[in-house]
Amino acid sequence: MEALKQRAIELLEKGEVKAVLGYAKGTGQARRAFFARQPGQVDKLVLDEACTQNLAAYATKHEVKKLGRVAIVAPPATQRALIQLMAERQLRDGDLAILAVDEGAIKELGSAAALEEHLALKAQGLDAKDKTLLAKLDAMSREDRWAYWQNEFSRCMKCYACRNSCPMCYCEHCTMDCNRPQWVPVASHSIGNLEYHMVRTMHLAGRCVECGDCGRACPVGIPVHLLTISAEETVHELFGQRAGAKAKLDYALSTFKTDDKESFIR
Amino acid sequence: MSRIGVFTCHCGENIGATVDCAKVAEMCKDIPGVAYSVDYKYMCSDPGQRMMQEAIKEHKLDGVVVAACSPRMHEPTFRRAVANAGVNPYMCEMANLREHCSWVHEKGEATTHKAADLIRVLVEKIKHNEPLFPIKVPVTRTAMVIGGGVGGIQVALDIANGGHKVVLVEKSPSIGGHMSQLSETFPTLDCSQCILTPRMVEAAQHPNITLMTYSEVEKVDGFIGNFKVTVRKKARKLDEKLCTGCGLCIQKCPNKKISDEFNEGLGTRTAIYVPFPQAVPNKPVIDTLNCTFYKTGKCKVCEKLCPTGAIRFEQEDELVTLDIGAIVLATGFKLMKTDVFPEYGYGKSKDIIDGMQFERLASASGPTSGVMKRPSDGKEPETVVFIACSGSRDRSKGVPYCSKICCMYTAKHAMLYKHKVHSGKAYVFYMDIRAAGKDYDEFVRRAIEEDDVKYIRGRVSKIYEEDGKLVVMGADTLMGGEPVEIRADMVVLATAVQSNEGSEELAQTLHVSYDTYGFFAEAHPKLRPVETNTAGIFLAGACQAPRDIPETVAQASGAAAKVVGLFSNDELTREPIVAVVNRLPAPAYSHCVGCFLCLSACPYQAIEQEEIKSRSGEVIKTLARINPGLCQGCGTCVATCRTKAIDLQGFSNEQIYAELMTL
Repeated sequence: MEALKQRAIELLEKGEVKAVLGYAKGTGQARRAFFARQPGQVDKLVLDEACTQNLAAYATKHEVKKLGRVAIVAPPATQRALIQLMAERQLRDGDLAILAVDEGAIKELGSAAALEEHLALKAQGLDAKDKTLLAKLDAMSREDRWAYWQNEFSRCMKCYACRNSCPMCYCEHCTMDCNRPQWVPVASHSIGNLEYHMVRTMHLAGRCVECGDCGRACPVGIPVHLLTISAEETVHELFGQRAGAKAKLDYALSTFKTDDKESFIR
Repeated sequence: MSRIGVFTCHCGENIGATVDCAKVAEMCKDIPGVAYSVDYKYMCSDPGQRMMQEAIKEHKLDGVVVAACSPRMHEPTFRRAVANAGVNPYMCEMANLREHCSWVHEKGEATTHKAADLIRVLVEKIKHNEPLFPIKVPVTRTAMVIGGGVGGIQVALDIANGGHKVVLVEKSPSIGGHMSQLSETFPTLDCSQCILTPRMVEAAQHPNITLMTYSEVEKVDGFIGNFKVTVRKKARKLDEKLCTGCGLCIQKCPNKKISDEFNEGLGTRTAIYVPFPQAVPNKPVIDTLNCTFYKTGKCKVCEKLCPTGAIRFEQEDELVTLDIGAIVLATGFKLMKTDVFPEYGYGKSKDIIDGMQFERLASASGPTSGVMKRPSDGKEPETVVFIACSGSRDRSKGVPYCSKICCMYTAKHAMLYKHKVHSGKAYVFYMDIRAAGKDYDEFVRRAIEEDDVKYIRGRVSKIYEEDGKLVVMGADTLMGGEPVEIRADMVVLATAVQSNEGSEELAQTLHVSYDTYGFFAEAHPKLRPVETNTAGIFLAGACQAPRDIPETVAQASGAAAKVVGLFSNDELTREPIVAVVNRLPAPAYSHCVGCFLCLSACPYQAIEQEEIKSRSGEVIKTLARINPGLCQGCGTCVATCRTKAIDLQGFSNEQIYAELMTL
């Protein structure tokens, strides 16, 4: 923590970055995103178990890009998101100073290549609760799983918190907002809800960095992150690749390779 | 309010017999936006088209739905008719009442209602149609012919004589193809080489033809009039400019025991070789798999002896990229091997040969100089059995089709054998004799009547060896299925004609469709037999289906006429059915976020980057841009784009949505 604060002050004082994007105390036990713009604000930064939000979602915002070079506190899932955003040309290599956090240690990564190398060493994993639920869902029959999700979606009120929290949902004009024509009904109705979550899942298949922020953002506690994570796992199974591993775009769903398994074509 | 006209066609009985067209026309009058609706027996006929044009003028129509057959055939017809009446041709849509309704349903009320629904959908679509304008693209007036057999040579000569440049690509070291291997040709029995080799020389010497032998097409980009073809020139290990074709290297090559492909394994050749003495170009190649130098690092006899120092052991394959306007595929066929017939001993007996091997035995330039000797011991065969339909018309061999040429060449083989061995006996086992063609049946009758070839209608169930003879067990179905046993010295199997090695890969490289058997598919079996579904790519000869020489040459000239016709245009017009990235006023500029996930999805490399710059030259936004010259309108990028920033002209999201919401 002290090392992080010290480095943040250095970066700001030398003018290497215009702001340090990290976590600060929020309401109660929660942590919120915090931009330290002056060395004096660095003291507010915190870094602990509760800092789970994927800050990469801020990195693509116009307002943040306009600031100039920014340093970003990046736990493993954020690192994956940042490299995927570079692959999708939303961030330029070198635009950010990445303060990679791994088991408490801070490592500064200035380039995509350094990030790629750093990520290759890390194994990604789901937390135990998610693993149990995912296994339970996988074990269900098609009908039961359908019923489970129908029941979950019945609580969805289309607040789009899952979309807005997602670092990969950076489109300026989301399909959901498209009204000429209005493919997906806007009202929170069972048909529209199902369509929205299906579209979101498909748009993230092969792109999801498995941070789980969408699930944490949901105010009514629908485990929506399991949809995109399981789609991402399917892509990994079928095509042997994961999002957020390389800074060069290799989108499984729009690339044909002769050794693709194609076992899903029946 | 739109003023749409609906024209319902009976298509003779095709639609009229199942759909009540008059009622459909009546029902369509009630669709909002429809100003005129009528039915007619043949809408595509001249009076039909005239009726449509008059109605457009009289009722001031601004959109037309033609409810008739598949747009594949007549969409251009009706669009032209509409354009002639002064309405943008892309304001005309076709409802496919034939394939989508009348052919697949029984006559009845529901069928008629479905027909009206199909029209209703398109009326709603037309309300969202926008006038589109054809895209003009330039033409490169150079053709590429792939395959240097008789078909390819004919195409190349015809185009070259029409005044255009031709690149003739052949994968083997010489042009000539299968025809150069034949002894004599049916039905005239003229010598194959005598009629082919002058053509080969003509092709080689023609100022408009560039020969690329020992070369293969690696990659094809672009589109009609503007292909970019990458050709791999395989290393001959020889400087072709220095080589004079003296043949000293071939004489002295110590490695002489290599099975000779040109003689179908009945003879041998050296490691440095020309396939046959009349080869064009007459320049050898080194077979690196069999050359002693490439195996052991020693030898180089040819290099030491070559008087001009033309040998280049270190030569590598070369990739050449060419600008090409049209491509003709003339890649020919292959024969099924004799080793797939368990009933005929898997071809293990040296004296059971296929048709092409017989051609080499009968050829004056063959391994026996045209003297009839059986392969096993070189004896003159006294009895020869020919078996037609070996593999052809046999579902169990995966070849349900007729190979077409075997009836004729089997008659020729039997005749050639009888001419060479007067005392010999020739038997032909056949299923049917298919000798349709000018002078063809006469030719078969001649074999039977004048040359005393015994034709037995029936199949051969088994062949086995006994005391140096091949015992052929068959049945004569014209004698009530009576068993026939013939002790033969040699058996010739007229094996099936199959699509050539690598034809599927080539089809995929060129984006050309092919059938279950690997033969390339024509655009229309009757009316567009030499075109493929990919514009600018044409077909000639046995790469499309089994063909004999006269048919191949005729088709080759047909394909050449298509190419010359294409090259007579200064520029080509392309359908404006292309994808477009939307553009909006600042500060959004477009819904495109520049993620470029569409880039790898595009099969035609049509997507490029476009930078939007401020007045001071600063890049504000990077967008995808679709090159309308390259886009084929497949819609893959439209489906890939998450923000729906891409729309396909003529099939926009709004049009599709309007269609769906109508139902």
